[in-house]
Amino acid sequence: MIETLAAVAMFATPTALAAIGETLGQRSGVLNIGLEGTMLLSAFVAAMVALWSGNPWLGLVSGGLAGLGLAALVGLLCVARDADQVVVGTGLNLLALGLTGAWFRSLFGQSGQLFTVPTLPKAGSWDVLSVAAPMLALLALWLLQRTYWGLTLRASGENPVAVEAAGRSVPRYRWLGLMASGSLAGLGGAHLALVVSGTFAENMTSGRGFVALAMVTFGRWSPVGAYAACLLIGYLESLQFSLQASGRGVPQELLLALPYAASLLALAFVGRGVRSPAALATPYRRAK
Amino acid sequence: MRRILLASALVLALMGCASNEPGPTSGSAEGRQDFKVALLTPGPVNDSGWSALAYEGLLAIRDELGAEISNQEAKGTQIRDAMRSYAQRGFRLVFGHGFEYNEPGVEIARDFPDTVFVSSSGGKTAKNAGAFRFYLEQGFYLGGVMAADLSKSGVVAMIGGPKVPSIESTFKAFEAGAKAERPDIRVLTLFTGQDSDVAAAKRATLEAIAQGADLVIHQANAAAQGVFEACREKGVLAIGSNANQNENESGVVVASAVIVAKPAFVELAKDVRDGRYEGSIRLVGMDKGAIDFVINPKLESRVPEATRKKLDDLRAKILSGALVVPKDEF
Repeated sequence: MIETLAAVAMFATPTALAAIGETLGQRSGVLNIGLEGTMLLSAFVAAMVALWSGNPWLGLVSGGLAGLGLAALVGLLCVARDADQVVVGTGLNLLALGLTGAWFRSLFGQSGQLFTVPTLPKAGSWDVLSVAAPMLALLALWLLQRTYWGLTLRASGENPVAVEAAGRSVPRYRWLGLMASGSLAGLGGAHLALVVSGTFAENMTSGRGFVALAMVTFGRWSPVGAYAACLLIGYLESLQFSLQASGRGVPQELLLALPYAASLLALAFVGRGVRSPAALATPYRRAK
Repeated sequence: MRRILLASALVLALMGCASNEPGPTSGSAEGRQDFKVALLTPGPVNDSGWSALAYEGLLAIRDELGAEISNQEAKGTQIRDAMRSYAQRGFRLVFGHGFEYNEPGVEIARDFPDTVFVSSSGGKTAKNAGAFRFYLEQGFYLGGVMAADLSKSGVVAMIGGPKVPSIESTFKAFEAGAKAERPDIRVLTLFTGQDSDVAAAKRATLEAIAQGADLVIHQANAAAQGVFEACREKGVLAIGSNANQNENESGVVVASAVIVAKPAFVELAKDVRDGRYEGSIRLVGMDKGAIDFVINPKLESRVPEATRKKLDDLRAKILSGALVVPKDEF
């Protein structure tokens, strides 16, 4: 039972890290659609650095930094300037898919290659990030709900004018939210490559960034909620594989859809009173 | 919120067509510059599997016949556009690597009598269109026989990416081989639904091993490393597919069911170049050297002498036609 839970937690960690970071980002008012691209590029950077240096820890740090770098790009366009966040995020996803594909092909040949990269140490199914993820969720919740800093961050996403009136800088808090989103998505991508898979393949994130965005909503903009949502989906995913293996004659197409059908159902009943941050995805322009 | 949802839908739609950058066009200085061959694949040609082997066949056509080549990923509605545009640009052979290219090919062939459209599997033909089907089931059948012999638990597993007819057909052949060897064997089938999701492939494999499987074959293309990693962690042997994966770093691949695309591709291109092509469905299997089942020399000690002997006998029977391996028509 414990072992099953640990495996579920490990497989859920990439998405969970991205969802926790993105919760902070969205609470500050920035919607980072580019999570998928961020995770993919970070997975690539982490895998390549680990492969060349032989050191997975260096790979992990590089993956986080790659995520931070992409978040800085989003910040330059969406916080420092008033670009549309959805458009920028979409562009980021396309950029990452193209870049990683092109680099991967130039390094490993047009017809590709299966390979392994050095992985982070594990104790059973536990590794440093799958242990850290729930703690990060709790830390983020505490920051958001129990600190003045968190109050201001939330205000930047709900009512930025009030933050300005209180003499605080909205862009600053949005930058911080975005940095959290980018760096955690980067660590998530690195975890996917360096712990879960032990390799890189083109488009290996396979929509995990988009699932993370959905999990932020499912978790009702609470970091702990987002982590729990990822665990639930992860559990259902492993359940559907075990049902497939048991061969009870349920169509496999239905089983593959099970986690998503179940989460839609849960979404319809859980926390219906909560709404998204009022100023989410709205660029903030300082009054003249 | 509605705006966000709409935007997300748009993003997803864009993601779908993001990976369709056309491949490089290259030719060779000597040879017939007017002979141009195009390849359409359902996925990226660096998947170390299905699409990769077709790309290698295309390269062989360039190297051996001096043809000018071009390749592209094309799915769904893009297929017809890509075929027409290649035909308009004077390509003599347009190869679609999958059964989904068969119908569009036959249809478009009517408008372009000077271009030949060939798909990997599919049942329709025209004067200048047809199909070309790799009999990979033969390799999978031998894999099933070997798996049944090597398994101690009496449970073996097949891990697939998307659930498509070509993959299902090979899985049926594997199961037939395993059951022929050992009627009471349990064969687990798991699909991840994704072609590039390494983590999902690993998870599916771990689940199969948890349910007792001690030998795993896959059709996971680029995600295959996930299958092998799971096998390595749990100390279980695997059988590779499409390409020869015996050398994989995981060290668990005991044998591979291999498609050798080059000779078949080159032969087809030669027929087209010399104007000898007539619409037909060509079945290329072990007799044409297009399919092979290769045991990993490094792990040969894990395969009993009797099993190796049995595999050789079955191979001879397949070659002589005494054994016809089951395959689906699609």
